[in-house]
Amino acid sequence: MQPPLQIFFSAILAFSVNAFAEKKEIVETSDHWSFQTVATEHRHNGVDAFLDEALAKKELKPSDRADRVTLIRRLYLVMSGLPPSPEKVERFLNDDSPNAWEKLVDKVLASPRYGERMARHWLDLTRFAESNGFETNRERTNAWRFRDYVIQSFNDDKPYDQFVKEHLAGDALGADLGTGFLVAGPYDIVKSPDPNLTLMQRQDELADIINTTGTAFLGMTIGCARCHDHKFDPISQRDYYSMQAIFAGVKFGERAVKRKINADQEKELTSLRDSLSNSERELDLLRRVAAENKGDNSTLRPAVNAKMNTEIFEATPAKFVRFTIKRTNQSEPCLDELAIYDTNGKNVALAMSGAVATSSGNLPGYPIHQLAHLNDGKTGNNWSWISHQASKGWVQIEFAKPSSVNRIEWSRDRDGRFSDRVAVDYVIELSIDGKSWKIAASSADREPYAGKTDPNAFLAKLPEPEAKRAHDLLAQMKRTRSRMTDLENGVKAWVANFSQPGATHRLYRGDPMAKREEVPPDALKVIGSLNLATNSPEQARRMALAEWITNKSNPLTSRVAVNRLWQFVFGTGIVDTPSDFGTNGTLPTHPELLDWLASDFVEHGWSMKHTLRLLLNSDAFQRSSQPNSAAGRIDANSRFLWRFPPRRLEAEAIRDGMLTVAGTLDLTMGGPGFHLFEVDRENVVHYHPKEETGPAEWRRMIYLFKIRQEQDAVFGAFDCPDGNQVIPTRNRSTTPLQALNLFNSRFTMQQAEKLAERLGDHQDKVSHAYQLLYNRPATTEELTDANNFIGEHGLKAFCRAMLNTNEFLFIF
Amino acid sequence: MIDTRHLLDRRNFLSYSVNGLGGVALASLLGREGLLGAEKLRESAAGKTPLRPLIDAANPHAPRVPHTKPRAKQVLMIFCSGAISQVDTWDYKPELIKRHGQPMPGGDKLITFQGEQGNLMKSPWEFKPRGQSGKMVTDLLPRLGELADEMCFLHGMTGKTNTHGPGENFMCTGFTLDGFPSAGAWTTYALGSETEDLPAYVAIPDVRGTPQSSVNCWGPGFLPAAFQGTSFNAAQPVRNLAIPGGITGTADDATRAFLQRQNHRHLQNNIGDSQLAARIASYELAARMQLSIPEVTGLDNEPDYILRDYGADQSGNKIKDLRAAYGRNCILARRLIERGVRFVQLFNGAYQTGGEGVSNWDGHKKIKEQYDIHGPVLDQPTAALLKDLKSRGLLEDTLVVFCSEFGRMPTFQKGASGRDHNPSGFTAWLAGAGVKAPFNYGATDEFSYKAVEGITTVYDFYATILHILGLDHERLSFYHNGIERRLTDVHGEVIKEILEPA
Repeated sequence: MQPPLQIFFSAILAFSVNAFAEKKEIVETSDHWSFQTVATEHRHNGVDAFLDEALAKKELKPSDRADRVTLIRRLYLVMSGLPPSPEKVERFLNDDSPNAWEKLVDKVLASPRYGERMARHWLDLTRFAESNGFETNRERTNAWRFRDYVIQSFNDDKPYDQFVKEHLAGDALGADLGTGFLVAGPYDIVKSPDPNLTLMQRQDELADIINTTGTAFLGMTIGCARCHDHKFDPISQRDYYSMQAIFAGVKFGERAVKRKINADQEKELTSLRDSLSNSERELDLLRRVAAENKGDNSTLRPAVNAKMNTEIFEATPAKFVRFTIKRTNQSEPCLDELAIYDTNGKNVALAMSGAVATSSGNLPGYPIHQLAHLNDGKTGNNWSWISHQASKGWVQIEFAKPSSVNRIEWSRDRDGRFSDRVAVDYVIELSIDGKSWKIAASSADREPYAGKTDPNAFLAKLPEPEAKRAHDLLAQMKRTRSRMTDLENGVKAWVANFSQPGATHRLYRGDPMAKREEVPPDALKVIGSLNLATNSPEQARRMALAEWITNKSNPLTSRVAVNRLWQFVFGTGIVDTPSDFGTNGTLPTHPELLDWLASDFVEHGWSMKHTLRLLLNSDAFQRSSQPNSAAGRIDANSRFLWRFPPRRLEAEAIRDGMLTVAGTLDLTMGGPGFHLFEVDRENVVHYHPKEETGPAEWRRMIYLFKIRQEQDAVFGAFDCPDGNQVIPTRNRSTTPLQALNLFNSRFTMQQAEKLAERLGDHQDKVSHAYQLLYNRPATTEELTDANNFIGEHGLKAFCRAMLNTNEFLFIF
Repeated sequence: MIDTRHLLDRRNFLSYSVNGLGGVALASLLGREGLLGAEKLRESAAGKTPLRPLIDAANPHAPRVPHTKPRAKQVLMIFCSGAISQVDTWDYKPELIKRHGQPMPGGDKLITFQGEQGNLMKSPWEFKPRGQSGKMVTDLLPRLGELADEMCFLHGMTGKTNTHGPGENFMCTGFTLDGFPSAGAWTTYALGSETEDLPAYVAIPDVRGTPQSSVNCWGPGFLPAAFQGTSFNAAQPVRNLAIPGGITGTADDATRAFLQRQNHRHLQNNIGDSQLAARIASYELAARMQLSIPEVTGLDNEPDYILRDYGADQSGNKIKDLRAAYGRNCILARRLIERGVRFVQLFNGAYQTGGEGVSNWDGHKKIKEQYDIHGPVLDQPTAALLKDLKSRGLLEDTLVVFCSEFGRMPTFQKGASGRDHNPSGFTAWLAGAGVKAPFNYGATDEFSYKAVEGITTVYDFYATILHILGLDHERLSFYHNGIERRLTDVHGEVIKEILEPA
């Protein structure tokens, strides 16, 4: 691997001589501010010193400090995305210590709610969603692991440079989940024999990765150079394709995320294998009992099913196992896994144990259906083999060495989504020499296939004690299998898959059919070179880029990062085009402050919590948000922070806030997301908004299973992005549809009812409502108005109105 | 009632508005006045300075002035989802009829979306001369054919992809990828609305479901959500429009009144904050929509002859039922145009209830059987709609656009009785405000495979539509992730040839 770029941006100063000799026509010089080294000497120290100086220059008078209630509410809404409880407010109001505010800031940053809140912004920026997008829009059932990884990273205050490296090359750093970033974007799975289409699809995938990497970490719109040299920035088309060469080995899909196992775990695995083997045997006996209990004296085994079939036979030495399919229920046969166990309970068919799979032929053109998937330890339709022939075909496994085998497990789709292509007439044979074969199992002694059946239907045929036993065994085996998968394969996640790519060429006008010269993997020429050979190992390419981006002397990375934190806190960045620090972006309002923050950030180990503390403890953050027409005339949007600029909460914070005050919020962290859609799965997946939600859907919205395109029926209208584009800043529009959704939806009515129930316990319902929703007491006028209204229309109507009020929905 | 006492004058109003809405306008306003040193007006890739609409945060749909004098004020887009075959409708090719059953030259080397080609196949529906102009249109769409004199055909349309999802994205948003604003969103962003009580932009999905790229077709992309299409049709109301169950109208009004009193009390302490005023106003508009949308979707007061003309009065078999449902959507489209809705997008065909031509125009395998259903469903109601618009004088200010994501092959697929996707040459037509009719622009080759003359890209198509609306496609832009984004990306030429002299 190449050493990280050392000289880096210092090269910019001298770049025009060499780097641009060949591309003179693009830019003659690049004295653009963001390409200059971050200043290390500063005129001031601290956020306020810079801000105050600028205010004075503009003759802007900063507003007074906000009252304490406003402050704690602001801090909670901004940094945790939830309103504080009345008890928390009470405690803060009663804290007379001089550092009460600093303590509160620390507390909020230490709360796991912080990571959940920050993750939303980060996931917008990394265009994360849990479906493929495009017309089929299928789900990614384990993409949530990347979301959890992001939340955890924020909560752990993982150094930003490390965080970025893991996004680009986590597989080299023991943090595979980070590479979920690379493939978090949309992915078109509709393939065609048309080669133009296929090439263009691949180009689009890579463009998405390049665009997102460029904008998220560097604030550079590298994607603009796909078809021609960048119109505004010193980025050539060649640069673009060099960047493409870095990512050319990245493939979409899910995979097991590696996990190292220690000696204890190895021991555990052995005992799990034994246990599974024993359970399977006992269960097989019970199945036979069930078969005999049919009353028709049939001793046939249950019919095959799509999800899981087990064959148990006398231990036999073998080096070859052949599975011949003579008929399927429909179409070409499909097997997602063929597991063959030796007498120690070890799956000896796995490719990683040296076994080799062959077949009668493979369905061409589908990356998800490959012979290699037959014995890769991965199950489900996306990791399956399909024969090239309708209704028939054979597969064969040759072990690394002869083994004594006694059990086989096979399935069409272990995930249970598909039940076509099931082998209903088959024979399994064993051989030691590959010449003479012995039948080990077949469909001959099974019930005839009669459509999709419940593989556990035999339970009903068992008498009570046996039925219970079988039931327990099944449950136990499920747990055992899942634990074994965890140990053997790690966990499955939608993260990047990698393979060594071929040559990458510059494409004339971005046309995949118009190849020009080959380009090496590289970063932006204007800055320097990674000096990688065209055939560098795939991982080394990404690692080199990651080192380059997070190099301390990179003038973009730290500036872009602290600017995002600034935006997160104050609503608008010091640069208000947070993903474009190029010449087409806007200039910073406080360039020196930006540099001070950037260098301080790097000095403090790229700690995001450190920088956030600086911002949150500043006077600027603690100013009143009251409008002031004199100041407003000079600086309407308060870019100079004479006041704290108020803003509407985002969709997620509105929903989370409603659940909080209604007392229904479930704070369970992590794991698979909850759905707000009924999912209708066929080739194309359709999503129908759920009419009713219940406690299962009352988690924080960061845990919503995020579907591309389809917006949540209530909160989608609040400018909620759908993960199809990088969104560095949320729009905040105001529309009548938002009003209809928030005023009339079943969700609002339901939460209004819950809030009413919650208030019902209180002596003074109205006062308590104001405390819960606004963290302040009601005024006399409000009390009178509310009580009169409740008298006439009831508590629930009052709650419905209150959940719609501006004061509840804005950060002030 | 909206209490406007607390709103400041227009300039301050804008200056308080937020990023994404007035913020964009604000940036240029203040930038010009030198109030914010950091702001500058960016150039779009075409080297022209953007002309961004000035948007009032409290009323993002206020009507706005176009760049130049418009020919049309409103757009009605009829979108045939699934790729309607130009070969079997509008694109008459005697050579194809002559060489029916023979291989297409070069066809053996041609791999299209689903694979290999069979032989050239003439349309199973006969072409006949229609109208005064004698335009050849098939028997599949006889009533629309009768109106050929009203139409300006673009026979040289080309696409960029042969997959439905990206194709529909391309035709609706100008980009094959997901996540870009639809043409209707661009239009309402630029022009606002002429109606106060209805959404500025309405998408009318087929009763059978949504098109393949679903809500992308009327999505806002990165534009503010205010400009997204609101989707409803004659059978399915707007979600969350109705007063929640168990609540009387009086109680509902009283609740809103209480909400607004609370909001106004709060506004007293934040005088001049237009974001807050905008939210207050949005509840008033929502309340008006609760009355006006049911009024516009309720077709009960339409006279019998209208229902009859649109085929909305018949039922009893599959074709009649579907035609009646689509006919009702067509009547709804006319009512929306009548009431000043800026952009109406009417869909024919859906994916949910059957792809591959079952519920849409994707006739891969059994085109005759499938189009024998889709043709009659589309023909009568669409023809009635066009006639109705004309008789009410609405065509003067409305541009009618008939399109699809791409076209189909002049061959049948190998081993099938249907046609594969064809983005190399297909037909769209325009009618109404400012376009020549009857008129033919562009042409495909002798078989209707490739556009060879008057080649019209989707960029040209939208450059022209925006031009008709008085908008310069190179200057109508929105800044997103470092780029002044346009509906036409960095391409597009206005097709001047099809415009009536101004």
